[in-house]
Order: sequence, then structure tokens, then C-alpha cells
Amino acid sequence: MRRHRRASLAATALLTGATAFACEPPLRGAEVQRIEGLRHVIAWRAPHPLPLAEFFALDLAACARDGGALKPPRVDATMPEHGHGMNYRPRVTTLGAGRYRANGLLLHMPGRWRLAVAIGQGDRAETLSVPIVVE
Amino acid sequence: MIPASIARTAARRADEPRRARRFPARAQNWGLSGGVERGGNRFVARARRLAAESLAALALAACAAAAPPADADDPTAFTAEERARILSLGPWPPPFAPDPSNRASGRPEAVALGARLFFDARLSPDGRIACVSCHQPDRGWSDGRPRARGRTDLPRNTMAVVNLQRQRWYGWGGGADSLWMASLRPLLDAREFAADAAVVARLYDRDADLACRYALSFGQAADAADPQRVLVNTAKALAAFQETLTTGRTAFDAFRDALARGDAAAAARYPAAARRGLRLFVGRGNCVACHNGPTLSNGEFADVGVPYFVAPGVVDPGRHADLQQLRASRYNRLGPYDDDAGAGATATRHARLEPRHWGEFKVPGLRNVALTAPYFHNGSAASLRDVLRHYSELDESRIHASAQPLLRALRLSAAETDDLLAFLESLTAPVAPHPMPPGDADCAAPGAQRR
Repeated sequence: MRRHRRASLAATALLTGATAFACEPPLRGAEVQRIEGLRHVIAWRAPHPLPLAEFFALDLAACARDGGALKPPRVDATMPEHGHGMNYRPRVTTLGAGRYRANGLLLHMPGRWRLAVAIGQGDRAETLSVPIVVE
Repeated sequence: MIPASIARTAARRADEPRRARRFPARAQNWGLSGGVERGGNRFVARARRLAAESLAALALAACAAAAPPADADDPTAFTAEERARILSLGPWPPPFAPDPSNRASGRPEAVALGARLFFDARLSPDGRIACVSCHQPDRGWSDGRPRARGRTDLPRNTMAVVNLQRQRWYGWGGGADSLWMASLRPLLDAREFAADAAVVARLYDRDADLACRYALSFGQAADAADPQRVLVNTAKALAAFQETLTTGRTAFDAFRDALARGDAAAAARYPAAARRGLRLFVGRGNCVACHNGPTLSNGEFADVGVPYFVAPGVVDPGRHADLQQLRASRYNRLGPYDDDAGAGATATRHARLEPRHWGEFKVPGLRNVALTAPYFHNGSAASLRDVLRHYSELDESRIHASAQPLLRALRLSAAETDDLLAFLESLTAPVAPHPMPPGDADCAAPGAQRR
């Protein structure tokens, strides 16, 4: 698995022309999930199960594949089927060493949501997203 | 039982001819006794109960996954998804949790003061209006009118003041982020009480019993405090009283708990029509998308296709306007009167204002909904049957483009409408205040009112 990931990173670096640095977000544990982007990797952890109509926070870690410095990501969630997002705007605080905490998330309806993390600046910016489900 | 002096005061005031016309309810309809549920053991017990329910639900879910329900007569015959959604509508009642933004919250002295103030028309300059004028105990703590009437007709339906503790937003547009802010707004509104800090201060000047109770509640005599602070504290006492008004356990709660335990015999006592209605509620009707959680509300806002014109050419923008008013108010939870210094003001801090909030109104809780006709923010549905007809025949084109497309005309049959009504009516129970220790004794003692 790890060998496969290294090969994938090398291929990505080749495609994007970026120098491949070790990009391992500093957040680990059984509940941590990853989103692999072209230029960034995000690791995130949320309460399980995701609470319905109650506030929760998200732990995040990020790194750039080119080893560049990062500004705090922006976090949001939408419900694509119903064409709306959250009624709240999360705020991200920097914890240091590539770690962040997003406060103020509230998913007010059960169903399929999409968690989006926007990271990077300028032509290095990308938005990584992942489906999440609230029961 | 209600403290005797509250009952005496309410009865005396109700005996006055003018007030008797305006305040048909009697304070004797609710009681205040017992102990505040704040101990850690209670939370442990609750956690254990939830864990036990989860295990039982998992076991039932496993059975359901193995064999989809086919027996319509089996009261526990729900799919795993239906069962999970049903269980999420409880348990009930919730444990009492004091409001950190209100230092009077959960304090028996403040509850006793708030109970008296709630029935006291002297909070309005001309003695015409009290909280109970619109929030009448024998009308489900609402008023039975399509739209509220204060000094003048108001554009929105009166919301019942039950099950209010620890909500994020109060009012149809969420114009208040605490119960005390929601209690303060009508006091200052020229269309309602038309009061101000001076009117409220005068009340304590002229009533030694209230002055004594104020001092007990807030640790300082009203006449020694800043009038603005007295005004806000009065609203906090009103909030302390209102947050004790919790609807009791219903037939639905007994069924829900039986389902959690896997107790088919107990579940069978819940009427079949209500069970069918519940299945529609959590299933095809998808009402649970917004009416979820133990209060059967997600506490948020929605446009459900009810017109927001309140008069020709006059609109009620709902959430869009009220959130802006909230942000501009010094009485919000980020302001100087929050006893939590804004620490718990997560919703206020993160609230997002978007065009889609235009014409959205709060999703009301459904406990005791059968007692609070008429319905919707503008009182345009005279009965629950009319509400169901609205959702059955919904004009989908009426909902603006960015609203939830999850709303579809349900096309309910007559039998389905009856079943949903049976379910909604099964959410009815008398208000059972959270037990509080009596808060009267000190002011009832001889000489106590000179404190």
C-alpha cells in the first residue's frame, strides 16, 4: 500500500512538473481519512458518527507535494442533491506544524453531504472534496 | 406543585376583571417542585441508557437487515433506516441543561420571579399586555390566533413557549440567539409591550415582593443597579421560567422507547394509524429531513412554499432580515449582556447570511403541535389537516430557485393524511415543567421584602 502510494506520488509529480517531496500530513489515527489532490494531501478527522444538526469541529492536517508553505485551508460542506450548503461558515485556526482545526460546522439535514477543503494559493490552489453521510 | 405564592399572585391578578378577560389561563396549571437535574450521575445514566438503546437498536437493525419487515401487524416492523430515524426522535424529555449565557438559568429564585413576571401586565406601560396575553397555557402556550396581536396586529403567528431550552435560535426568523434576548424583544417592541428600562424599574419600585425576588435572583437590589441591566435581568428571569416549560412524555415516546428496547408488546399499544403515519414521516414524506431530533426540529430555517407577503406589496423576508437585526443588536450573545462572554455563541459567530435565506422561516418543533393551531409563520393553515394538504399539493414552482428541491408534492391519499394526523396527534402531552426547588420561601418570610 505504502509502495503504491509512493509510486502514485512520483507519477503525480511527473505529471505536474513538481518536485516530489514527502507529503505526509501530520495527523494519524484510526479515524483519520485522507484526500489526495494533485498538489496537496489533506488528512482529516471528524466525530463518528457525524452529528445531525449539532455543531462539531474538524481536525485537519495538510501538506503540499512541492514542499511549499501553506496558508490555512478553507472548509465548507454542501448538500449537492438539494442545492444548498450549511447555514454556518466554519473558521479554521492554525495549530502549527501543518495542523488546523475547523470550528462551526453544522449539517442540518440527514443525507449525503460533500466536505470541501480549499487549499493553496494562486495557480497552486485546489479544492479537495469527499462525500460524507449524516444519518 | 407550584409555589403557593405564585398561585396566589396569579389567581389574584386573574380575578381582576380586565385581566380575567385577557388572561384566561391560570398559573395553577403547572407545578414547580423537586430538584434541578444537573448532577454528573444523571449524564452517566443517560449515556448508559443511550448505549443500551444503541445496542438494542443494533440488534434490531441486524434482524431487519436479515429479514426485511413484511408483517404489517408487527409494531416493530420497520426497516433499519426507519428504525434509526425513529430512535433519533428521542429520548424524551432531555435533561435540564442551564443556559450559560443567562446566570439566572436554572436558579429557583429566578424561575419564581420569572413566573410572576410572565403573568404581570405591569410590564407594559398601560398595564394592557403581559407575556401570557399571547402565550396562554390553555392554548398550548400560544394564542390560537393566525397572527399575534399586541397593541396592533403583528405579521407572524405566535410560537408556543415550550421546549425552549438551549435552542440556537428563537422566533420564526431566528431574530434572537438566546431565550432571554427573545424575551426582551417584545418588551421593547412598540407594537407589543412598548416598555423600556424605566417602566421595568418602576415595577420593582412599586412591588416589594418582586424587588425582593429580583435581589435574591441577581444578588443586587434592582434600585441599586443600572436600569438597563435591570431590564436585561428581567428578561433573563422570564427566560429562566420559560425554559422550565417542557412537554411531557407522549404515546410516541413510549413507542419509541419500546422500539429501542425491542419490546414488541409495549410497542403494540401505539395505535396502528400512528405507526403508519410515523412510517410516512420518516419515509416517503421525508418530513424528518427538517423535523428531526428529540424536539422534531433541526432548529434551522426553510422555505416550504408558504407565501411571505403579509399585505399587498409588503413582504416578510424571514431569516434574511432577522439575522441582520440580530447581528446589529447589542443584546445578542456576542454583546455585553451575555454571561458567558460569548464563549458559547458558536451559532451567532458562525451564522451565514445568504440570499437563499430570504423567505425562510424556522422549522418548528412538533411536540404538542396539535394544540397550537393555526400553523405556519403567518398562521395561514387553520388546522393540521390544512398543513398536510399544503405539503400534499405543494406548488413546487412557488419555492424559489435556491430552496431545497427535496420538497415535492406528497400527493397523500385520504388514508395517508389520516395516518399522519394520528402520528402528529400522538406527540401531545401536558406541559411538565422541569422540577425545580421552591424559590418562594425567602421572600415569603416576615420582613424579607425589606431586603
